Amino acid sequence: MSEAMRTEESRWAFARRLWSTLTLAGFGLLLVGCAADAELDTFQDQGETARQINDLAVPVFIVAGVVLVLVCGALVWLAVKNRVPANEDYQGEFPKQVSHNNTLEIGWTLGPFVIMVIVAVASLVTHLAINSTEANAMEVQVDGQAQTWEPRVVVVGQQWWWEYRYYLSQDITTDDLGDPWDLPPADIVTSGQMVIPAGEEIELIVTSRDVIHSHWIPALNGKRDAVPGLYTPWKLSADEPGVYFGQCTEFCGLSHSRMRMQAVAVTPADFQTWIDSQMKPANLPTNEDSAQGRGAEVFSTYCASCHLVRGLNDADYNGAETYAGSAPDLTHFASRTTFAGGIFNLYNSDYSLNDDQLAAWIRNPNEVKENYANDLADGELPRGMPDMGLSERQISDVIAFLATLGQEPTRAQILATEVN
Amino acid sequence: MTPTNATVTEKPLELESGVTPFVERPLGVLTRPQGGRGWRDWLSTVDHKKIGIMYGVSAMVFFVVGGVEALLIRLQLAVPNGGVLSADVYNQVFTMHGVTMVFLFIMPLAAAFANYLIPLQIGARDVAFPRLNALSYWIWLSGAIFLNSSWIVGGGGADCGWFCYSPNSGLAFSPSHGVDFYAIGLLIAGIASLVSAINLIVTCLNMRAPGMDLFRMPVLTWMLLITQFLLLFALPVITVALFLLMFDRLFGSDFFNPDMGGDPLLWQHLFWIFGHPEVYIIILPAFGVVSEIIPTFSRKPIFGYSFMVFSGIAIGFMGWGVWAHHMFVSGIGPISVAAFSLSTMFIAVPTGVKILNWIATMWGGQIRYTTAMLFAVSTVGMFTIGGLSGVTHALAPADTQQTDTYYIVAHFHYVIFGGGVLGLMGGLYFWWPKVFGYLLNERRGKLNFWLMLIGFNLTFGPMHVLGLQGMSRRIDTYSAGFGFEFWNLVATIGSFIIALSVVVFFHNIWRSKREAADLPPPGPDPWDARSLEWMVPSPVPEHNFDEVPTVDGLDEWWHRKYAIDDDGNVVRISSVQSAAQDGSARGVHLPSPSFWPLVLALGLPLIGYGLIFNLWLCVPGGLMVGMAMYAWALEPVDDPDADHGQHHEDNDGDGDNDGSGGSGDSDGELATVGTPSTQGGYE
Repeated sequence: MSEAMRTEESRWAFARRLWSTLTLAGFGLLLVGCAADAELDTFQDQGETARQINDLAVPVFIVAGVVLVLVCGALVWLAVKNRVPANEDYQGEFPKQVSHNNTLEIGWTLGPFVIMVIVAVASLVTHLAINSTEANAMEVQVDGQAQTWEPRVVVVGQQWWWEYRYYLSQDITTDDLGDPWDLPPADIVTSGQMVIPAGEEIELIVTSRDVIHSHWIPALNGKRDAVPGLYTPWKLSADEPGVYFGQCTEFCGLSHSRMRMQAVAVTPADFQTWIDSQMKPANLPTNEDSAQGRGAEVFSTYCASCHLVRGLNDADYNGAETYAGSAPDLTHFASRTTFAGGIFNLYNSDYSLNDDQLAAWIRNPNEVKENYANDLADGELPRGMPDMGLSERQISDVIAFLATLGQEPTRAQILATEVN
Repeated sequence: MTPTNATVTEKPLELESGVTPFVERPLGVLTRPQGGRGWRDWLSTVDHKKIGIMYGVSAMVFFVVGGVEALLIRLQLAVPNGGVLSADVYNQVFTMHGVTMVFLFIMPLAAAFANYLIPLQIGARDVAFPRLNALSYWIWLSGAIFLNSSWIVGGGGADCGWFCYSPNSGLAFSPSHGVDFYAIGLLIAGIASLVSAINLIVTCLNMRAPGMDLFRMPVLTWMLLITQFLLLFALPVITVALFLLMFDRLFGSDFFNPDMGGDPLLWQHLFWIFGHPEVYIIILPAFGVVSEIIPTFSRKPIFGYSFMVFSGIAIGFMGWGVWAHHMFVSGIGPISVAAFSLSTMFIAVPTGVKILNWIATMWGGQIRYTTAMLFAVSTVGMFTIGGLSGVTHALAPADTQQTDTYYIVAHFHYVIFGGGVLGLMGGLYFWWPKVFGYLLNERRGKLNFWLMLIGFNLTFGPMHVLGLQGMSRRIDTYSAGFGFEFWNLVATIGSFIIALSVVVFFHNIWRSKREAADLPPPGPDPWDARSLEWMVPSPVPEHNFDEVPTVDGLDEWWHRKYAIDDDGNVVRISSVQSAAQDGSARGVHLPSPSFWPLVLALGLPLIGYGLIFNLWLCVPGGLMVGMAMYAWALEPVDDPDADHGQHHEDNDGDGDNDGSGGSGDSDGELATVGTPSTQGGYE
């Protein structure tokens, strides 16, 4: 008797110890997890849609957690309570041979069903909310003229960078876009960084020029695949001005992990300033003998068959000689703060140009970001930027030229958009 | 087509119709081999138990291959900017890890259980079509080796991820031969699963012992039967998809090429119409295993047998209506997303029933924590985690954040490893004495278990956090500063603990075998178990049952040992020794071995290499396949001179009048010998 009681007691002591250890460990791990500085964290929502998703997901996580604790708790409890020796010739009295209980079983078929109905209704409401768009016109000045603009950005993925196209002077729909390999000219084309006005709902039209990619800015919204040949609607919005990081999330080949982007939300006034600067043609060097002038020459010789600098080579430019038929528009290159698919800083933290990294990139892109652009078979088009075989002098010249393209970003911008 | 037993006479080549067979003494190569010894025996065997063992051994080999690939992945991701593998090699390694673990480890391991246990659990002597069974194994093995040979001859493994989305899998984006090997290798392996599915379905439906009604079949056999139906209908879909992919790559068609009007989403639909049932193909066998282990070690019958069976059937049906939940963010449109989101949520209901019924089985039981039971109970717990995280991404809005992140990686590893692998590991410990005649050591077994459980949770638990912190799936490296460092390191440590547990498992097999000589043999029923396989000796004699048992109810074997008296108490009515069979029957007619399944299977990879490298190679490959088919059809049922040609001398007890198949003496095989007009090469 006392023997049995002791065993019983020690079992419960063991269960209590196990339970407190597990709980402690669980909380400890949770703290470590949350303390991290995580710019892609899905729970740190900064926009309406991301918040709606979390308002749905967090309660479901809690319900799921309760169910988990109940199931695992029952397993552990039974493990402690009903344990008998494991040896094969254990011959104790058999327990009651209960084979079924229809009431119970129907109950725990209907119970989860009812829970799922509630969850399903909540899920559908959120689903409809995040898939609807509201008419949301804003005033912008385009070339000094007031224009009503439905905030909308065409997002185009290709190996391994994102292009963002802004059509300000016309209300463009997917029908107007036609072939994604031959999109109509846009007022503003940028890459790696999508500048948006804070507080506005931005419609996205997502597509791809080669394989499937997925556009994801976790703080603002969930992801949406960029499928070649399809224009898929999506939206996002940022509550406050700020920089929100993103990463391609559909496996897209060699440099999938190095295909990143940022949404840069600015005040409406700053957004107008940004539009004004981006609408200008490139600042072209006037002195042909300067480094910039020589760099422009290098650019025209080696780079212009793929990259566009408006005001310099738009007459001859007919799409890039790459598989996707595209390469980043460099007209306002220096106004951005990252390059090569959002993975390198264009400026150092002391605000100087990060010319070491830029030189390494131009010297042999494949060395710093793997691609398929060198050693091509006959007729094969590069995916990524090839090694153009430039000399060190040509590289420093072309960097000098590139540094003049576009309005230099503010120091605050440089710091906020810094990538690791 | 099937002759009745009565018409099968001493001359196996004589036909019911009275037509004179066109061969009386077949030519040399067409004589049926007798059961040889050593390697000849294994190469020509049609015994479902040997085939099961071969499936199991090969699966474990590929478990090691896939495991090494997993460790490489974890090494690469242990720290930011990892440099163990190049991006290219990393992409090949994670692709081949997935393909290997799904198609070459867990499916064949489940097939090992199905082959070995279905005939035993339903009281049959073999499967319906023994040569087809051998064919399944050899084709699967040739496909598996073919697939992995791309590392050596194909310029590396496939690099498109295990679901190989187009157009990234196209020639333009994946110019090495890896994806060709993926497509053709999986086509070959798919033939194996399809053949085996038909075989096992016929076995379950036609070969049951007298009295073994469908609703007296053990839950494991039920789950395996449902799995075979899923395979039967799912594999044709992936076969179509793989054919289209193969044509795109090898013959310049444009099914998935958007430049030419092809549709990349078509691949996704086809893949997931196969791919989601595939999840249940992986998990249902483990559910079945757990449903055998938990009652045995709780000393109670399974709670709610009919709910367990019907929830399995419900999962089998509903599994077809949820595939597009893999495509919530692909742009298929909000209405489709809503519909598939709802269907996905409700598949949680029958799954929940299973979990609660397992708990109810343990409730009020007397639980003996053997290693097998530890694995089974942890399967319930770990699968619950995977199931619940599954519910969180059945919510389409939440899924837009979660999909293609490590949260998904965590989820499906909790389902496939936590549910599937832990369950089947329990099954290995449970049935090991039955198959090999010695028990695996329990102390080492428990070490194996705890290492695996802890390693598993350390590896995949943190991935939930990583995914919700925004770590994308399939990235070959990540930068510092996103908060990914700590958990990735933990996951890597965990993966090596899993590897250690697998080493302990192999060590346990080896040591226990050596120690077994000094221990008493386990006997037919070491666990005091419930179903028919435990009434025959361990290891099981070639003919399975001395006398095919007549079945009176569920848990037939347990009821032969125990009865329940009027007060509801369990009383022993018979000792194991007196209730069990001793395996002493002699001269039981068994299907003769054959080499043709092996020859046929060897032809297929030749055709595969031919398609990739030089079409002329298809000629010998095709000839091998075609000739093997004809030789198969022409070879006699038995070697006429073989001494086991005595038919049905053991038939007295098995009363074929119930129409449920009889003694399992390869009736199907007999049906294959016919006039030339009936010879189609297949049984």
